[in-house]
Amino acid sequence: ARAAFEQHGRKGKRKDWTKLIYMSSLSPADILRDVSNASSNKDQTMALDDEDFFTVVSSSGPQEEVLDQTKEVLRVEDLKEWEDEEMLDSIRNLFITGGS
Amino acid sequence: MAQAGNVIQFSGHQYLRHRLVLSILSGKAVRIDKIRSDDKNPGLRDYEVSLLRLLERITNGTVIEISVTGTAILLKPGIIAGGSVTHDCPLSRSIGYFLEPVVMLAPFAKKSLHLTLRGITTDDRDLSADLIRTVTLPHLQLFGISEGLELRIKKRGSPPLGGGEVQFLCPIVKQVKTLNFVDSGRIKRIRGISHAVRVNPQFSNRMIEAARSVLNRYIPDIYLYSDVYKGEDSGKSPGYALSILAESTTGAIHCAEATSQPGVPPEDIALLASRALLEEIRRGGCVDRKHQSLALLMMVLGSEDVGRCRMGEPTARTIQFLRDVKDFFGTSFKIAPADPADETSSNLIFSAYGVGYVNANRTIA
Repeated sequence: ARAAFEQHGRKGKRKDWTKLIYMSSLSPADILRDVSNASSNKDQTMALDDEDFFTVVSSSGPQEEVLDQTKEVLRVEDLKEWEDEEMLDSIRNLFITGGS
Repeated sequence: MAQAGNVIQFSGHQYLRHRLVLSILSGKAVRIDKIRSDDKNPGLRDYEVSLLRLLERITNGTVIEISVTGTAILLKPGIIAGGSVTHDCPLSRSIGYFLEPVVMLAPFAKKSLHLTLRGITTDDRDLSADLIRTVTLPHLQLFGISEGLELRIKKRGSPPLGGGEVQFLCPIVKQVKTLNFVDSGRIKRIRGISHAVRVNPQFSNRMIEAARSVLNRYIPDIYLYSDVYKGEDSGKSPGYALSILAESTTGAIHCAEATSQPGVPPEDIALLASRALLEEIRRGGCVDRKHQSLALLMMVLGSEDVGRCRMGEPTARTIQFLRDVKDFFGTSFKIAPADPADETSSNLIFSAYGVGYVNANRTIA
């Protein structure tokens, strides 16, 4: 429910996707980070110290390579919110059995 | 086919697959450089070379040049030939890695494709054979590609040793239908496939039970199938996975999947998959996130009419795909909020004018 609340708050500023995709040079990851996924608070904190992050990247350190993969990595932490009863109930209306 | 000066340039190893697909479909040559040029181990990986070889085999007249260091490639596409092809996939990636781009190309071949792939059928990176069969292929049906479309899982193969085998049969089409899919409907049923090979067969049932504990609250129409493969057919390595999908009243499909990890009980794997499915359902839209690029590609290729589709927010892959589509086909999508009045909805309507792609390779029967 907390996440749903956050999602509510951030919707004030709507993204102009057409503009972001075709008329900016932002990398896909940056576009999404700006949108700030409510489900991955972890990414948000990472975005904060991005300035320092960028300078280190090219030094071919032991960092993991970004693979061309279709499935996203499932992380237990990201899906924690689904242990919450309220959260589970919040999507009931997406099923035929739920009220509207 | 491609004239000089008609080469599209990219850098980096990422998004290799869809760039190759776009090149072959558009007939425009593509040059990709700086492939892991800063890496300790520079150049193409074995699976990427294997993919290039597979694409070379299902096409006719494709010229692929790889630089000495392997950090740059040039692909001049030929025609998509199809026919009967067998390919051994390296064990570094699963069959899904190879099948995903092939699914995008096969409908436009000269002859219908009959592809046999051997290797790993399920891993945690690419769509498993189960998801391709139950989710990817129905997505193609939206575009009028249906008759004779089939994926048979002959043998399963878990990482690291694989040993699986699948057969992919794809019919050819003249042109794909224009998509107009803006009503995502409501979820009416949940289906799933649970499999366990070379481990206690009870694992499969334990996963089903755990998944039900999460999903049963929503709808009664849940059928999770325990798929049993025995002996030779179960591959060379132990492993188990749960692939689940939710189908809506309008035929929108969302899917999720989790595969076995060392030291994690099957119940936890099932919970992971179930929760990932709920997450996917919440994001909404008519097309699953893992299939956004496929749907958008078919919309671009559709007849000269406006195709529309409701989707959740695009993934990073989708964003790059949209940009690359513009480079190859000159088509850009109009992306507008699906429910401008509803502040909580993040759904978007993607619309584009199809290029009217006609399968010129097709042999007239």
